[in-house]
Amino acid sequence: MILVQGITSAYGRKPVLKGVSFTAERGECVGIVGANGCGKSTLLSILAGTLKPLSGQVRYDGQTAWSGQSPRRAGKETPEGEARSSCVRAAEKKCGGRMYCGKEVIRKMTGYVPQENPLIPELTVYDNLRLWYPDSKTLKQELEQGALHLLGIQEYASCRADKLSGGMKKRVSMGIALSGQPPILLLDEPSAALDLICKEDIRSYLKDYLQREGTVVITTHEESELELCDKLYVMKDGKLRQIDRALRGAGLVQML
Amino acid sequence: MKLKMRYLYMEVHKTLRLLPRMLLQAILLMAVIGILALCGVKSMEKEPLAVGVDVAIVLEEDNALTQMAVGFVESMESVSEFCSFRQVSEKEGFALLEQGEVAALILLPEQLVEGIVNGQNPTVEIYFPRQAGLEALLFRELTDAGAGLLNVAQAEIYSAGDTAAAYGLTEQLSAMEMEIDSYNLAFALDRLALYEREQLSVTGQMNLWQYFAASAAVLFVLLSGMALYPVMQPEPLVFRRQLARQGIGFLWQDFCQWLCGLLGVGLISLLLAAAMGTVLAVWGRSGLELQLFQSGGGAGDRWAAVLLSALGILLVSTFIYWLYSLADSRISGILLLFAVSMAMVYCSGGFVPSLLLPETMQRIGGRLPTAWLIQAAGGIFAGYGAGTVRECAAGMCAYTILLGGCAWLCRRRDR
Repeated sequence: MILVQGITSAYGRKPVLKGVSFTAERGECVGIVGANGCGKSTLLSILAGTLKPLSGQVRYDGQTAWSGQSPRRAGKETPEGEARSSCVRAAEKKCGGRMYCGKEVIRKMTGYVPQENPLIPELTVYDNLRLWYPDSKTLKQELEQGALHLLGIQEYASCRADKLSGGMKKRVSMGIALSGQPPILLLDEPSAALDLICKEDIRSYLKDYLQREGTVVITTHEESELELCDKLYVMKDGKLRQIDRALRGAGLVQML
Repeated sequence: MKLKMRYLYMEVHKTLRLLPRMLLQAILLMAVIGILALCGVKSMEKEPLAVGVDVAIVLEEDNALTQMAVGFVESMESVSEFCSFRQVSEKEGFALLEQGEVAALILLPEQLVEGIVNGQNPTVEIYFPRQAGLEALLFRELTDAGAGLLNVAQAEIYSAGDTAAAYGLTEQLSAMEMEIDSYNLAFALDRLALYEREQLSVTGQMNLWQYFAASAAVLFVLLSGMALYPVMQPEPLVFRRQLARQGIGFLWQDFCQWLCGLLGVGLISLLLAAAMGTVLAVWGRSGLELQLFQSGGGAGDRWAAVLLSALGILLVSTFIYWLYSLADSRISGILLLFAVSMAMVYCSGGFVPSLLLPETMQRIGGRLPTAWLIQAAGGIFAGYGAGTVRECAAGMCAYTILLGGCAWLCRRRDR
């Protein structure tokens, strides 16, 4: 379902990701933990298509989301173990050997919940959702019996976004991410600074999503969310290392 | 495309939702700037300079006819407005002239009136001080004008006498002289024709009301941009990237925000126009004269005003958009807009006419966008001079393109 291979990224001259690779199957939840500033959000931004990697490959359900290497890296380093299909090679050739981005693939396959909420504060929740949902009929259906209903958004749909609590905003952000009914959900610390009830609501929604064969990639510091994960990775020094999913407390801290 | 239009719709929707608050803030601002402009007019509207010219007259004899002639001249409107005469002795007169207490000294000869009547025309001597002040200059002007008139009248009379003698029409001479007298009197009574008039104004072709109304309108529209911050502020990067991910490119996002800013500035400008119209209507009904629209008004001027107003709104919205692109936060954006607008309006002569500012500031101010804006706004009230419309339109277009480019670069940097 998700194939990530040899992703590298840098901010200026400082490398952030040094060949990150992992896979996830349908209905699987992948957890990524790591110290602040280790590159978790950068990785999720790349997976969501809002940041461009320097090199590597990302595929969703066999379709290429990112592939190749940017001119910055060309000739310096070759991504390890990169297996390019003829279709990808053709796409790369078309782009002049640069990083190929399958924007449409990313858009259709992923829903992204960033750390900050992508809301227009002056508009109501309904108006905010209206921007992302294809038509008001679909939106109303979702509010009445879909994902938005499960998240409890219909109760405050007419409130202005800037009047909402942090937990409410986060639920709306999730609602926005689910607007295209994507099979993959990318969550960047969704429970940060939320109360226990809200955390539990989000957790139960994710459980439901996974049961419906959805794939979740989540970065988190919350042990309760780690319970959901089928695979657990630690991000350290720009590299991703799989660890025992049952690891908690001091053992986990030691790994960071 | 559907998504892009939906985003545009949402931005417009946001602008319209914020509109009541923006208009309220604009009304408060208008009240403050209106009061400031009124104070500006009142502080510059002073009484015309009153010049009193003291003239010393020396009468060589106590002649009733001469006294009458002096009394007549003294009571003439054009003379009495400026001059007051004092009869002194010759010695005393020269002393006063030396001390600068009188602007001129006139020595009237004996038998002055009789001499004029019998054609001897005795000379009247007039002395001016070596270093003449304003009063002396005015009196000299007055004297020259009077002497010129007398010269012409005398030449007319002599030429009429010569003509009558040459053609044997001496019987008709008195009728001819009466005709000449009536002609000369008619000319002399229109006294304004005697002086070369030149009007100088620091506000150019605008009067004070027009000048301060134009400056206040420009300042108001610029500062009203402070209320437009929620519309024109750069959205958080995470939101922008999320939009870009969905296919709403950064350029389209920027364009939509600018367009909404333009809508906001346009609506605020309409509010200003409506407020000005109301004030003029109420003022007119109460019978007070507000000298705003006194020389403008042709159909060409009206079209020029519409064109330049539209370009002005484009320029102002682009200018505000650029400043908000430069700023990092709400407070810094608003402060930047306030400080830059005030400085630019000041340098362009919006508070104090630019002629009264230092030369360097005049030169800088004349090249700022506010200079074009004030000129364009002034034209709405006072009409546009030849070439002004083209000059203003070109200046405003150039600045709109330049500032738009700068804003685009600033926003590109933040991606």
